[in-house]
Amino acid sequence: MLIELKNVNKTYNNGQPLHVLKGINLGIESGEFVSIMGASGSGKSTLLNILGILDNYDTGEYYIDGRLIKGLSEKQAADYRNRMIGFIFQSFNLIGFKTAVENVELPLFYQGVSRHKRHEMAMQFLDRLGLADWAGHYPNEMSGGQKQRVAIARALITQPKIILADEPTGALDSKTSEEVMQLLGQLNREDGVTIIVVTHESGVANCTDKIVHIKDGIIGQIEDNREHRASVFGTSTIMK
Amino acid sequence: MKDLFTEIWESVRRNKLRTCLTGFAVSWGIFMLIVLLGAGNGLMNSFMSGGRGFAANSVLVGGGWTSKPYDGLKAGRRIRLDDTDVAITGGDLFTDHVDQVSASVYTNATVSYGKMYFSGRIDGEYPASQEMNKIEIRYGRFLNDKDITDSRKVIVIPENTAEKLLEGGQGVESLLGKYVKVGSLAFRVVGISKSDRMSNSNYIYAPFTTVKTVYGKGKEVGEICFTTKGLDTEAANDAFEKQYKSVINLNHRAAPDDERAIWVWNRAHQNVQMTQGRKILSTALWIIGLFTLLGGIVGVSNIMLITVKERTHEFGIRKAIGASPWGITKLIISESVSITAFFGYIGMFLGMLTCALLDKTLGQSTMTVMDEQIAMLVDPGVGLDVAIEATLVLIIAGTLAGFFPARKAASVRPIEALRAE
Repeated sequence: MLIELKNVNKTYNNGQPLHVLKGINLGIESGEFVSIMGASGSGKSTLLNILGILDNYDTGEYYIDGRLIKGLSEKQAADYRNRMIGFIFQSFNLIGFKTAVENVELPLFYQGVSRHKRHEMAMQFLDRLGLADWAGHYPNEMSGGQKQRVAIARALITQPKIILADEPTGALDSKTSEEVMQLLGQLNREDGVTIIVVTHESGVANCTDKIVHIKDGIIGQIEDNREHRASVFGTSTIMK
Repeated sequence: MKDLFTEIWESVRRNKLRTCLTGFAVSWGIFMLIVLLGAGNGLMNSFMSGGRGFAANSVLVGGGWTSKPYDGLKAGRRIRLDDTDVAITGGDLFTDHVDQVSASVYTNATVSYGKMYFSGRIDGEYPASQEMNKIEIRYGRFLNDKDITDSRKVIVIPENTAEKLLEGGQGVESLLGKYVKVGSLAFRVVGISKSDRMSNSNYIYAPFTTVKTVYGKGKEVGEICFTTKGLDTEAANDAFEKQYKSVINLNHRAAPDDERAIWVWNRAHQNVQMTQGRKILSTALWIIGLFTLLGGIVGVSNIMLITVKERTHEFGIRKAIGASPWGITKLIISESVSITAFFGYIGMFLGMLTCALLDKTLGQSTMTVMDEQIAMLVDPGVGLDVAIEATLVLIIAGTLAGFFPARKAASVRPIEALRAE
């Protein structure tokens, strides 16, 4: 079991206490392509933040690869994020004053990899995602799909155990969305990368092999979706 | 390291105007510091050169009156220094601290040349006196050892006296080699010394032995002058003076602790005071300079706070992909230090340039005080030590300026930072 959550609870105490996650139990195997689907306010973003070690939880246990993730120092958390998790965000979160290749290099910079080596690796990954020609461009010179592919390259470069994608198609048109989801599926099938996608769009969720429904902070149905027939709007499109 | 500088450059490049305006305040602070210290140094050098009449480590000793009864003799007795005191001073007892010894004896006489004449004090001196009293020779030479051993009738006349001996007062060097009458005896002029209206530079010098024999001073000596060595602190000087007085006092049957039997003027004390004065002035200038710099530092800190605020989202991204809090802190502090150091060095360079300019202008202009030309500033400027100190100040200041903004940047949680925009 690569990811294991046992009875995880999280309450926000901003004025009125808000119990967001009410005892989450979830297991994800290595090599799975999973989506976590829920409406806004369902707790899916909080769950993603906890999975990504960006936020802490109150009670329960969270294991990555058998390692308990709890009460980490900032430095340790940063190190775990760097080595075990790759992030893909809705708004890409590329650094605007760095070129595509510099953005992709950044996680390796924090690992202390030499300039030359990390540049070489970053070029390799950009090449794989078909962006070798765009390496020297700044994010604002690229289309949304290109930016997201740069972000995917950045998430992949440390060869993490898990890729966490938070609404990865949220800022893209339907055609590009489809391309991005296909790319993620391809990475999962060909490289065996474990991918967890958080979304509220059923079309996006339909692209994944397993759909975890979350509602009001509780995990509901877990659908096996290897047939990709979950979408009520048809199997072949992402409805916008 | 190179990566760090790339990051800093990327950040600064985006805010050129803002960075330059802030940097100007830092440049100004360091500029003021350097110019103040440089001008202060010039002023002190000018004062110091005013006191150039004496070797800094020389001691002058003369006879006085006893203030205490001792050994059956009552107080109020006149003490006259003599040859035995000179021998004691130069002897084994003080060999550790006494370097060169010179004695002088003086008499008043009328010096005449042709129709012109001049009345004044004639000092019998040793050759060593030239260095101790910093006597500058304009033409010819000062007294030498041969003059002493042979008791030659030679004389060194100060310029202003020489002018009085010449009709029209021009061409003093023409007196060299001529004979002038001192009282009723003819003395040959061997040197003309530089003079002003201050202090001791208008004495007429003749060999010690000559004055003593010719004017019948017997064993008596007017003043003893000697240079000291190995007395580095004020305490050491005091201890030496005390010991010296007691020995000379006993030589004249005066109480060893009698303060007035002989007088001792140790120029080292004056020197220590000068050094202290210099220290006080430079401390005051440092304080003024540092306060001026403070304004610049606050500006840098302010700008760094704004930078941190603007870059919160970016720091969130960096944290999400693995930057540790220290990684962020380092970025901000080094940016702050770089800005401070870069603009600080511009200020330092301009400050040194201004000091050089001061040297070329004010440094060349002089005031006339009592016939002596005194430069207003002598060698204004700062040394390497100040440059190094200023560098340290800049680095410390930059770190301080960046510290609080950096701490703020490092403490924001990554999810909050990612949400910010």
